[in-house]
Amino acid sequence: MLGFLTRRLAGAFLVLLLVSVLSFGIIWLVPGDPAAVFLDAGATPDQVERLRRELGLDKPLAMQVVEWYSRILKGDLGRSILLSRGVTEAIIERLPVTLSLAGISLVLSVVAGVAAGMVAATKHGQPVDQAVMAGALFGLSIPEFWLGLVLIVVFAVQLGVLPTGGFVPPTESITGWIRSITLPAIALAVVHMGFIARMTRAALLEVLSQDFIRTADSKGLTRLHILLRHGLPNALIPILTVTGIVAGSLLGGTVIIEQVFSIPGVGRLIIGAILSRDFPVIQGGLLFVALVYLTINLLVDICYAIVDPRVRLE
Amino acid sequence: MTRRITWSALAFAAAALAAGSAMAQKKGGDVVIAITQAPPAVDAHVTSAQAARNITLHIFETLYARDEKAQPQPELAEGVNISADGLTYVFPLRKGVKFHNGKEMTSADVVASLERYRKVGASATLLGQIDTVSASGPYEVTIKLKTVQSTFLDNLSSPRAPIAIYPAEEAAKAANQINYIGTGPYRFVEYKPDSHVKLVRYDGYSQNPKATGRDGFAGKKEVYLDTVTFRFMPEAGARNAAFEAGEVHLVETVDGPTAKRFANNSKIAIHKALPFALQVIKFNHAQAPGNDVNFRLAVQTAIDMEEIMAIAFADIYQMDPSWLYPGSHAHNDAGKARYNTADLKAAKALLDKSSYKKEKLIFMVDSGRQNVDTATVIQQRLKEIGIDIELKVADWPTVSKIGFTKEGWNFWAHGFGIEPYEGPASVMSPWVNGTSQQAKDEKIDRLFDQLNREMDVNKRKALFTEFQQHMWDNAIAMKAGNYGLFQVATTRLKNFTPYRIPRMWGVWLE
Amino acid sequence: MTAEAVLDLSHPPSKPFRETLARLLGHRSFVIGGFLVLIVLIIALTADLIAPFDPLRNAARVRLRAPDSVYWFGTDHFGRDILSRVIHGARISLIIGGATVLMTGLFGTLIGAVAGFFRPLDNPIMRLMDALMAFPAILLALTVAAVLGASVVNVIIALSIATAPHTARIVRASVLVIRELEFVEAARALGASEARILLRHVLVNALGPLIVRLTYVFAIAILAEAALSFIGVGPPPPAPSFGNIIANGRDFMVVAPWITIFPGLAIIVTVLGLNLLGDALRDVLDPRMKV
Repeated sequence: MLGFLTRRLAGAFLVLLLVSVLSFGIIWLVPGDPAAVFLDAGATPDQVERLRRELGLDKPLAMQVVEWYSRILKGDLGRSILLSRGVTEAIIERLPVTLSLAGISLVLSVVAGVAAGMVAATKHGQPVDQAVMAGALFGLSIPEFWLGLVLIVVFAVQLGVLPTGGFVPPTESITGWIRSITLPAIALAVVHMGFIARMTRAALLEVLSQDFIRTADSKGLTRLHILLRHGLPNALIPILTVTGIVAGSLLGGTVIIEQVFSIPGVGRLIIGAILSRDFPVIQGGLLFVALVYLTINLLVDICYAIVDPRVRLE
Repeated sequence: MTRRITWSALAFAAAALAAGSAMAQKKGGDVVIAITQAPPAVDAHVTSAQAARNITLHIFETLYARDEKAQPQPELAEGVNISADGLTYVFPLRKGVKFHNGKEMTSADVVASLERYRKVGASATLLGQIDTVSASGPYEVTIKLKTVQSTFLDNLSSPRAPIAIYPAEEAAKAANQINYIGTGPYRFVEYKPDSHVKLVRYDGYSQNPKATGRDGFAGKKEVYLDTVTFRFMPEAGARNAAFEAGEVHLVETVDGPTAKRFANNSKIAIHKALPFALQVIKFNHAQAPGNDVNFRLAVQTAIDMEEIMAIAFADIYQMDPSWLYPGSHAHNDAGKARYNTADLKAAKALLDKSSYKKEKLIFMVDSGRQNVDTATVIQQRLKEIGIDIELKVADWPTVSKIGFTKEGWNFWAHGFGIEPYEGPASVMSPWVNGTSQQAKDEKIDRLFDQLNREMDVNKRKALFTEFQQHMWDNAIAMKAGNYGLFQVATTRLKNFTPYRIPRMWGVWLE
Repeated sequence: MTAEAVLDLSHPPSKPFRETLARLLGHRSFVIGGFLVLIVLIIALTADLIAPFDPLRNAARVRLRAPDSVYWFGTDHFGRDILSRVIHGARISLIIGGATVLMTGLFGTLIGAVAGFFRPLDNPIMRLMDALMAFPAILLALTVAAVLGASVVNVIIALSIATAPHTARIVRASVLVIRELEFVEAARALGASEARILLRHVLVNALGPLIVRLTYVFAIAILAEAALSFIGVGPPPPAPSFGNIIANGRDFMVVAPWITIFPGLAIIVTVLGLNLLGDALRDVLDPRMKV
């Protein structure tokens, strides 16, 4: 197990190093610079150039590389050009927002997805199963951001029962927080619900077809009893894996949903930074997101290795 | 009996209402304004973005400020004494003006602020003619110019990237690194990126004693509200929905169809900020066929300007050949005959005389809807006379980078908002030295030079008229029309009138 | 990593084409999915014939018309017919999806096969793929699109860069298993060159998982095109794609929801069809793969 861990960690570190190169390098390819965002259409190139100097954006490449690595090794992601604060601070400020959105969506998708998957598996081949699976597939086919728009029109504008966007921190108002997070969380969860439902059903069906279940069946135990007592625990591993995949995918999904609902989260921070060429935020943000992704994947791997010894030998 | 009660109740209510509007001004209340973009900075010196102006002009003030008619009026200065040779400006300062940190403004603060602006200012060229700035007394500042500049006070009072007066210790700091301390009627409280900026009424605000009422960016700035929050909401749908849900009280801009929908709602007041900008279409003169006057004239002749305005700025535009706003002193209709001709036949004839050989041309725009709409309408229109155009949509940093180079674009459309407001020199300036069209135009350069030295207002108007005629005769660039903004507000917000920014002084909540 | 974990790689040897086809045709998902995709494909191919109006022509008189008997899906703020734009939009969306599948298939296979077959290159290549996969696909595509600029070709490149690493991983996994199987050993013993083995045996046998993956890539590409358009880096106007019609309607979401709704439904139909096809192909070609 220790060998497995070291191998995985070393691999992850290597990947992280590559990620740092990629996120630093990408900005050298993007045309335009942040000074332009400060200026209106009347600004001449001379003015842009002056402002670049004043903002300290005219350092040579080699110096920037050195600065980048000496900074990130210290865990410092630098200072935003546009937000008048440190990148780390900007990320930390928004992290609770993104995490609460992704977290609630995850809970929603896992609870609804696993329940739907269980129902489908117990009623395997029956109309209920087919209906659930059709629904899951349909959910998988809806563009998240489009669903978000439709939810806004229906629930916020037509019915007026929920806010159109924005984010209320739970520290300010719990009900306000729940209200502000409901629509975006649903928009995000629908796709993943379908994914988890399909996975749960497949895993359960496989377990249920195995010998010990058939034995339990022949002993006359009820279907539900078998499912809860034997089926679910054995199907837990694949479900756990999929939950890990979904957690990563949800973080990606928040990027666009935050945009639709004007939620000040990490995704919107990075998109805004890309569109305004706030280079330190692009670099730091991408590095941070990659780190979170890798950590989730690593955790999933470790969980998997704990429950399934064969993986460790690979 | 019931009927009588109802009537008397109504009468009472009416009386109360009348009394209400007479005594009216009520202190207190929090207003939330939805604006389309986040400000790139709250340091007024370093940015000329509209989003920043909206906020900074509530916090900071300038020596001179523009009044309702865009004329410069003393603000932090008591006035000015200009020497006979026109080179020395002596500004006596108002006494007793307190910064938000409680310190009194003196000449040291003004000198430091002007020096800073000359170094880091986003429109530092506004002060380009300054030779020296010095404190000639604790409440007096003397500015010496290198050459006579007829527009110096106009420049000093420009709201483009305001030449705000900061405390000297803040003015010593680098671009975008200051604490936001000004003399304005609101104090800065907090800035949450991608969310909002919050301001609170500054109770120590010193009114300009000469001011009588609300007057442009100058005049009296009586604040009744407790706080103003500017929320950044780039999504139009989210903005409008938030407004309908009562989460915001004022929206900086809504589109025509939405304004029409709101019109039936008695709780919503619709204001028109018109004109707010000119919609301008630039040609790249450094590239064929944009270097060919016949090609440019062909395009200008073909385009149906009103179609552009009607689609991109539904119900909120003016057709006007002038490169200045109606009401501006130098507004004129030179070039009228060439404006909005929409004559495909004449255009085809001109095109046949031109060097255009069916090659694909690039129309570059930023991703703002109105600009994309403009490009789309022109592309479809010009297809009819055989001009092949491809749209290139990119974000602002990319577009503004490419748009000032000789390659990568043939057409570029965007709004010109602050220039016509500032006046003739600012409208001409982008075309001087070929900056915007990428090829020097001797005549424009000469006219600009003359305008800058001409102190007589009527002669300045004549020079500008000549410039405008030249623009249309040679299709240096085109303007499609003047567009405005529909601003919607709750009717609870009283005494609001739109201006170049949604001013939150002189208004109150009911 | 996870994909390898989920995949059980004891892969069955290839079956005759005819038998596979028969099994597919008997699969309900394949029939329904195929039907949906075929309809979208036919609409895209015959767009010029069946669209009632020119999708690009502005008609200011009929701006923002609600759906009626003339404009079935209503009109946008240019007065353009939404039905005609959705019909033509199918073309660009399918081109983007199809081209992404081709690029991803080509490069994903190449990268995966090289990594799987030439062991010294395996680690560096796969760590690079991991690095690319460490960014959410939409952020990666957005960044690439911001670098290259918005155009149909650049959207395809961006989506391919975002989807190829996963495909490479799947191909590599298949190759790793198959190259150790007996018939490959046999070919090697018979003196076949490595390149020949790679091409003839390994790739042919890795085809099943690849086809399944690429069907899903098609669906992902259609969804991602719409998302990119929404952020403003999709295919540029005026030519319609599903995504840029929606993006165009966002300002009028409340006054003219039809601009947003209909292309969204078109996306759902297309993606649903592709997902159904993918499921059927998975059941038949790659029965051990679960999701």
